[in-house]
Amino acid sequence: MLRYFFILLSFLILVSPAEARVYLDINAPTFVQIPIVLAKWKSLEKTPPSFTEKAYEILANDLTLSGFFKVIDVAHLPSPLREREGIPNVSSLQEWTPSGGEILLAGETLFQPDGANFKLTFHLFDLVEQRHIVGKQYEGPLPALQSAVHRMADEVVLQMTGEKGVHNTKIAYTVVQGSGKEIFIADFDGANVKQITKNQSINLSPAWSPDGKKIAFTSYLRRNPDLYLIDVDGKNLKRFSSYPGLNVSPSWSPDGKKIALMMGKEGKSDIFLIDADGGNPTRLTKSHGNEASPTWSPDGEWIAFVSDRSGSPQIYIMARDGSNVRRLTFEGSYNTNPSWSPKGDRIAFCGRIEGRFQIFTIGTDGSGPRRMTSNSGSNESPSWSPDGRYIAFSSTRTGAPKIFIMNANGFNQRPLTSSKGGESSPAWSRRFE
Amino acid sequence: MSKKSFIVTILILCIALIMTGCPKKTVVKEEPSVKKEEAAKAEAERKAKEAEKAKGEFEKSLVAKKTPGIEGEVFESSLLKDIHFDFDKYDIRPADAAILKGNADLLKKYHNVKIQIEGHCDERGTVEYNLALGERRANSTRNYLVSIGVSPERVSTISYGKERPLDPAHNEEAWAKNRRAHTIITAK
Repeated sequence: MLRYFFILLSFLILVSPAEARVYLDINAPTFVQIPIVLAKWKSLEKTPPSFTEKAYEILANDLTLSGFFKVIDVAHLPSPLREREGIPNVSSLQEWTPSGGEILLAGETLFQPDGANFKLTFHLFDLVEQRHIVGKQYEGPLPALQSAVHRMADEVVLQMTGEKGVHNTKIAYTVVQGSGKEIFIADFDGANVKQITKNQSINLSPAWSPDGKKIAFTSYLRRNPDLYLIDVDGKNLKRFSSYPGLNVSPSWSPDGKKIALMMGKEGKSDIFLIDADGGNPTRLTKSHGNEASPTWSPDGEWIAFVSDRSGSPQIYIMARDGSNVRRLTFEGSYNTNPSWSPKGDRIAFCGRIEGRFQIFTIGTDGSGPRRMTSNSGSNESPSWSPDGRYIAFSSTRTGAPKIFIMNANGFNQRPLTSSKGGESSPAWSRRFE
Repeated sequence: MSKKSFIVTILILCIALIMTGCPKKTVVKEEPSVKKEEAAKAEAERKAKEAEKAKGEFEKSLVAKKTPGIEGEVFESSLLKDIHFDFDKYDIRPADAAILKGNADLLKKYHNVKIQIEGHCDERGTVEYNLALGERRANSTRNYLVSIGVSPERVSTISYGKERPLDPAHNEEAWAKNRRAHTIITAK
């Protein structure tokens, strides 16, 4: 189904940007959100206004969730501008000055004569310099609307920050059901929540395959924590690592050929490497401690993990063959759940401070530790977005643990879905496109 | 009654023998030998009765347990006691060693029984690190049982980490209860 959308969903660059310009350096520790005006979209020909409104709402939500924008939507415009729709001329841009925005996004929707396909057009304008930035058009079948608008939002983020957004990504996580836990998937904006496992067992620590087609996870189906693979549509469940004892916390190597995981083959948890089909288990850690939660560096050369070999759980880094082990964290007495940023430069982890767990990031050389969460609840299990600009995590700040998302600087923290909670272990997918 | 009269008869015979000047040794030797046999017999009978009674008790204590999403039917017995652990620890506490001794004694009486030690943790800390800790708790319990004579083939282990708390409350009392090694019976 997804593939079908992607083939048909084509887009056209109407005008190339004259020059690439970065409006917002999101790598700065703090940044001011760009005020962007979303003018009313025009419904061309027989396009139902409800369709246009839906597309507009998805885009407004996407841009808000990105954390990079202060969205000024129709409801927040002064009255003469509120009803203005369609694509303006550059010469008339000064009329938008009272909006308070620096960027203007104007759009049009068109139902194709067949009634089964749509066309979306948007243009970005710089209201300060009064110039056109870019225009693009997207075509696709009606059910691909969400995906098309997400791509549009990604493009806006690209134009403003120099890198595409992650609106076409998904997050896998676990949800408590009865006495067990099931694996779920939701889009970046919390839409399209889907239950992947329905086996009533304890299903834990989902991990996306690098191609985004499968999820590896642990299940107690056969009264042992074995590793399974399942397609993202919930089909083709396959057990592939079932040594007695732990087979948990899988992490795929970036090339998809190996999986690092915790195994209990030696009577305690060690980090092992197995082939993607479950064969050739090789023990990487040699200490007497408990080893947990492996995560790969994006170049596939290093693995960060947890070990209590020093007496308390701390984050360590080793080469992919188990050599060159070094300790990364020294502050605090309980540091776990490392997650290596796709940009490679930082590692997020969960540390205990004043009896509660908080999300931190730290340079891979141990420099510049930063605390990202400060709420009264516990915050655990960080997972980076594929562009390294967001972190998903679980938080008990509203009661039962829920998945939250924040910008990588700790700003803009919001729950992923409006569910009641009982959620943990988020895992962020690659981009789907 | 007949035993008493038998012993009395023997005694009379002994006195008679002494009186008739028979060698002492033979007599002295015979008397304890008979007593020993008798005592052993009585002891064996008592033990058999006790075992029979205990067996009934053990079998009566078994409760079948099926868990949704986890294959197989297992049993639990109130006679196989849980042990508990300190926070982030997996060593057997001295008081719990006595509990394991009791569990081991029971296992030694029932050679067909196979058990699985479940390692559990409290809710604090991460899913994965607690799975590692539970693995250690299960294995240190198993190792202790093996060290006091339980055959290793009879004891398997499983870690549930923090996934199966006994007490769902979020306080010290609940946490102490949840940091445990629990024994289930996989074959009886």
